[in-house]
This record gives sequence, structure tokens and C-alpha cells, in this order.
Amino acid sequence: MKLLYSLVLLTAVMTGVFAAGQESPARQGRTFVTALPVNPVAVSPGRRTPVDFTFRVESGYHINSSQPLGEELIPTQLHFSLPGEMAVGKIQYPAGELMDFPFDPKTKLSVYSGDFVVHGLIVAPTAAALGTYTVHGELRYQACDNNACYPPKKLPFTFDVKISPAVKRIPKARPNAASPHIHN
Amino acid sequence: MNRRVILLLAFVIAVTGALLGLKGLAGHQVRQAVPVSSPVSPNDSPSASAPVSQPIFAPDFSLKSLSDGRQVQLSALRGKAVLINFWATYCGPCKEEMPFLVDLQKRYGPEGLQILGVTMDDGDEKAIIEFTRKMGVNYPILQGTEKMADSYGGINGLPTTFFVGRSGKVVKELLGSAEKPVFEDLVKQALQQSAGGAEHSREKQNP
Repeated sequence: MKLLYSLVLLTAVMTGVFAAGQESPARQGRTFVTALPVNPVAVSPGRRTPVDFTFRVESGYHINSSQPLGEELIPTQLHFSLPGEMAVGKIQYPAGELMDFPFDPKTKLSVYSGDFVVHGLIVAPTAAALGTYTVHGELRYQACDNNACYPPKKLPFTFDVKISPAVKRIPKARPNAASPHIHN
Repeated sequence: MNRRVILLLAFVIAVTGALLGLKGLAGHQVRQAVPVSSPVSPNDSPSASAPVSQPIFAPDFSLKSLSDGRQVQLSALRGKAVLINFWATYCGPCKEEMPFLVDLQKRYGPEGLQILGVTMDDGDEKAIIEFTRKMGVNYPILQGTEKMADSYGGINGLPTTFFVGRSGKVVKELLGSAEKPVFEDLVKQALQQSAGGAEHSREKQNP
């Protein structure tokens, strides 16, 4: 019986190796951008919580900004798949850096290189069930270097959102407000 | 029990054989291009383009021309030098070399050069046609497919250009943009390759 299992396993491994060998270089997940980990976000029902997404473009490459200077250029965009009625709102992309490249020194392009941060707001509905949820995000981008461009890519990433009961805020003391207990 | 094991063993051997056979068939591809880090100029070392020890026949394909809707088959162009340029509208370096290609088609077309632009765009055809019209493209623009790109080793970056001699053998492949004299030199080499053989194999082009 052990031999039987071994044979089946061997067949599966061989098929896997074959499948990996068949994958074309274009599909071999070459990445030009990585997503830095996002700390779990604590959200209260009915409240908005800011969240930052930091991405790192590999050295020597650039990607178009969210507003590239050319209609045929592919903008960088963030997409989210959220559980329940949660939403990521007010996504604010940074302004692109205006740069020219050796392949066309006369034309400026709006690009991101190095690290860039996209701001957003996590919104949980008032009736949201308490608990921790995993949010799936996807950065869509198209990278180039000084000499060539690469097909559009999708970079998936995840982060956790913890919905906890709202904590009553204690109003901060206003330093300039006159205290009834202080008399000059 | 023993009979079952023997049968399973035979099955595994048969699967292995089939997989290896398929892999062997799939191996008839142009090898993967070597990326270059900077634009290729005439004075650059030939490492910027991909040398191949054995001349390889350019894999045949039949793709739809966006210009007129007709199918263009590579093997039907045997006897001509063919420059296959993989590009996309979003690719700045591709756009920059288009005027070179237009000029080369104009000057060397009468001598037997045929340029084929293979777009790897997923976008709508009208936008691609409009783009090439604005660029004054005077050669067929074909809609590329993943299968076809795979047969050319997988197109990892754009532009990628294959120079195919009159015999149908690949003279050189370039990944990334290159300066016009580089294109012109390679076009001349492709034109010099006789229809019957490969006098100008890639070894000869790499000192």
C-alpha cells in the first residue's frame, strides 16, 4: 500500500515539475514592486480610520503614477475586495515625480520610483459585526526601466481589519481654555 | 496486489514519457532574450543583444493584421528578411523606435525587408490602430497572442525585436530599445542571408 501511495505522489510531483517547466517567462511572476506589510487596522463601527499602504519599486525601475501624462499609459491603481459592507474610501495617491528617460529625453513622465505611500480610509458600517477581517488589496501597475517596458502586473496584498466596539472619547483638555479652578 | 503495483508502475512510466515528449515538443522555441540595462548603441558590446550558438528558425505563426483584418503568416514571407518587433502602446521605448522602423521599411522594403509589428496590448483594436496611424506606421500591425509570444521564448520586456534572415533563420534578437544604426546594421545582415542558408549566422555577428 505504501508503494501505491509513493507512486501516486511521484506522479503528482512529476506533473508539478512539468507544469512549472512549461510556464512561460512572461508569466513567471517577475515583480517590480513589493507591498510593505500593513499593520492591523483597528476600526469601530460607523467610524473612519486612516490607513497607509507603502509600496517599494525595485531599484532601476519606475511605474506610472496614478495620473500618467499620456492617454496610452497605464495608471497605477489600488483595488480592494472587502468583506461585508466595509469600504476603503478617499484613496489618495501621491503626486508622481516628473522625470525624463534616455529613450525620450524630451518628454517628462509622471512616475513613482523608490517608496511611495497611498493613503486611504477604512470605513466600517454602524451595524458591522465585531471581529477581525482580512482585506484583499491589489496594486495594478506597469513598470519600465531606462530601456524597456514590461507587461502590466497585479500585486496582491492583504491586511487585517479589527472591528471593535467604539470607545467613548474623553474630550482633551483645551490648554487655552480658562479653568474655573484657576484664578490669576 | 503485485499486478496492481505493476499496472501503476506502467502508468507512471507512461505519464513520464508523455510529459517528457510534450516538453521536447515545447522546446522548439527561440530561446529567452537577455535583458539589457541601457539602450544599445553601435559602439556597445554585442552582449546587449542575445547571441545564440546555433541559428534557429523563427517559429512560424499566423496572426491577424489590425490594419486590414487579413491573416499574416510568417512562412509565407520566406525569401524576405523579416523584422518582428514586439511592442505595446504603453511602452515609451517602443514608441521611440517606431520612426526608425518606418524609415527602414521605406528604404529597405524594395530590397526585400518586411517589418511586422506585433502588439502585445490587451486594449481595444481601434485605439491601437489610431496610435499607429498617428505614428505613421507603414508596416502591418499584428495582434500578438500569448501562445505566439511563448513560441519566441516568452516576451519578457518590450520592445523585443527579432531579425529573421531570408532563409527564415533568426539572425539576432534585441531586448529593449536600440539606436537606429544598430537596427540598420542588423537589417542589412538579415537581407544578406540567402534564402537557402545562413551565411550570416549569429556567431559571425558577434566578434
